[in-house]
Amino acid sequence: MVESRVRIVNRLGLHARAAAKLVRAAGAFSSTLRLERADRGAVADAKSILSVLMLAAARGTELLITAEGPDERAALDALCRLVGSGFGEEEE
Amino acid sequence: MSRRRHKAERRWRGVAVSDGAASGRVLRIHSGGRHSIYRVSLEGAELEREVRRYRAAVRLARRQLLVLKKRAARTLGEEHAYIFDAHLLMLEDRKLNEDVEAVIRGEGVGSEWAVKVVTDRLLAVYEEIKDDYLRERSSDIEDVTRRLLVALSGESTGGRRLTEDAVVVAEELMPSTLAEMDFTHVRAVATDVGGWTSHTAIIARGLGIPAVVGLRDFYRAARTGDSAVIDAGSGEVILHPTAGTLERFGAARRAAREVADARPQPAAEDLRAPLRTRDGVEVTLRANVELPVEYEWVNRYGARGIGLFRSEFLLSHGGAMPGEEGQRAAYEELARVAGDEGVTVRLFDLGGDKLPALRSDAGEERNPALGLRAIRFCLSRPELLRTQARAVLRAAARGRVDVVIPMVSDLSDVRRTRAVFEEERDRLGAQGVDAGRVRFGAMIEVPSAVLVAERLAREVDFFSLGTNDLVQYTLAVDRGNDEVAGWFRSLHPAVLLSVRRALDAARAGGIPAVVCGEMAASPAYAAVLLGLGARELSMAPPSIPRVRRTIAGLEQAEAAEIAGACLECGDADEVEELVRVRLGGRWPNLFPPEILPPPKSRG
Repeated sequence: MVESRVRIVNRLGLHARAAAKLVRAAGAFSSTLRLERADRGAVADAKSILSVLMLAAARGTELLITAEGPDERAALDALCRLVGSGFGEEEE
Repeated sequence: MSRRRHKAERRWRGVAVSDGAASGRVLRIHSGGRHSIYRVSLEGAELEREVRRYRAAVRLARRQLLVLKKRAARTLGEEHAYIFDAHLLMLEDRKLNEDVEAVIRGEGVGSEWAVKVVTDRLLAVYEEIKDDYLRERSSDIEDVTRRLLVALSGESTGGRRLTEDAVVVAEELMPSTLAEMDFTHVRAVATDVGGWTSHTAIIARGLGIPAVVGLRDFYRAARTGDSAVIDAGSGEVILHPTAGTLERFGAARRAAREVADARPQPAAEDLRAPLRTRDGVEVTLRANVELPVEYEWVNRYGARGIGLFRSEFLLSHGGAMPGEEGQRAAYEELARVAGDEGVTVRLFDLGGDKLPALRSDAGEERNPALGLRAIRFCLSRPELLRTQARAVLRAAARGRVDVVIPMVSDLSDVRRTRAVFEEERDRLGAQGVDAGRVRFGAMIEVPSAVLVAERLAREVDFFSLGTNDLVQYTLAVDRGNDEVAGWFRSLHPAVLLSVRRALDAARAGGIPAVVCGEMAASPAYAAVLLGLGARELSMAPPSIPRVRRTIAGLEQAEAAEIAGACLECGDADEVEELVRVRLGGRWPNLFPPEILPPPKSRG
């Protein structure tokens, strides 16, 4: 199992589009992927959009991503990159 | 028993989220989430059959969403289609489907009830979310729930076949409801909730459908079949309009329908020929475009390039801006569509009131029209402006792209914007990325810009006159405020003097000036603008043929004489009377009474 901490940087937070991108990305891997809010321990299955949206992760929220499975390293890197890049959205 | 036509006229005021006006018969659309769901008890083998029925409904809903997503991407652009991707993922969500099936089996109930139990639980969790924007996303869950329930009922959602033109009225329109309708039959939209950045608003703007939202209790009062007027110019909605009211809206309605009519014009060849007045003055008509669905209109209606692209229309649902790459692709596509004449991209013309997602620290502004908006907003959010600058410069390497700065109030706005572009050009150069030449224009829409227009003309490459804002700021009249609606007059002599002054300054400075507000699209106003010295007009493409016919049929010298007389008038009433009598008298075939200002009934 591998894990990494990332911070939500895009202004809108983990909203529907960002969540959709994240869930699509997670779905490409066979590993189990979990997101956990560092502040209050809410946990989400990264392959379930409803679960991800339920985290209500606004900008600035710190997430602990854990990956477990055959492609865990690649999966973790992919999700960290996506969150860290602000889901490719405009920032100001 | 009162008959329909005897019902008293009633008025509502909401938020206008698009342009135009229309009247017609109401079609009430029941919003999602309010179906009556009954608990049906099942047992034994019935339960497995019920689970299979649920799964079939999910598959049906999924197929519908795939079609919808494709259609939205085609007509509205990829950045607006994403919402249906989120809906698809929700439908495929393991958690949702496992929970629903567990409720069916565990409680021995029908699918509808199970869907309601599970989604109500989800929505309850959403209600607790503190972040406004994220909490709003519950409407997406409601939309998916509604779709599932309809699929379970065996009805098709595409069954909302509008066979005749209707004014669509709803408490709230789900994004997919509007996206699924046959747009050609939707004359107008009126809803009780919603705002400028709601998806429904964006779609209505994209399709040129007059829409007013935030009416609070209109849905309850309106009945299917009632007569109604929707005026997205003023934000006013009128139920049971009197004959007199309908007559007053006649001209506006015809204009709106013409704009909504996107069918190809047979005489496309003639549309491309140079346009001259009868006395040989050449006039250029360009296109205002917003959403991808309109891009092909540029050629269809024979526009000479794109005179105004309002870049804030790249904003996605909820106010996220596309990144540099997304913007570059959009501007390049626009430049390709616009051809040799190129596209003029107006820098983001928004303030915090329109961009809840980007409103950060300031909170509510007491006076947003005079606040941090347009170029002021861009300059105060340097990364926003820099990203846009880089995208424009890169696109300009591949096609002709110019920029126009919104709400310029003096030279420093121009100089600061140019400096940002120059810095980004250097940075791109250092990175070995091609940057093209970009011309800079100033929007002339506030009185200070009019008063220093000569000086501005020495430092910019062209002017764009935004007449809507020019009227608002020159006359100090809030166009959204009903109490002062009587003071909002496009043909006020002060407005005409401002237009004249800006056009003269452009000519003296040797730069072109394009008039791109709503005035340009109305034949009578276009004639006055021509008389004041305008030689370039930019408008919604479907308005071009009509304005073209008007200009080709009149003499500029005489229009100038009439415009000169307008400038001497004491107030807007006098100007309107003069326009009505002189234009209608000189060119009666070009200006039938219904497109001229109505005669004043002085009481």
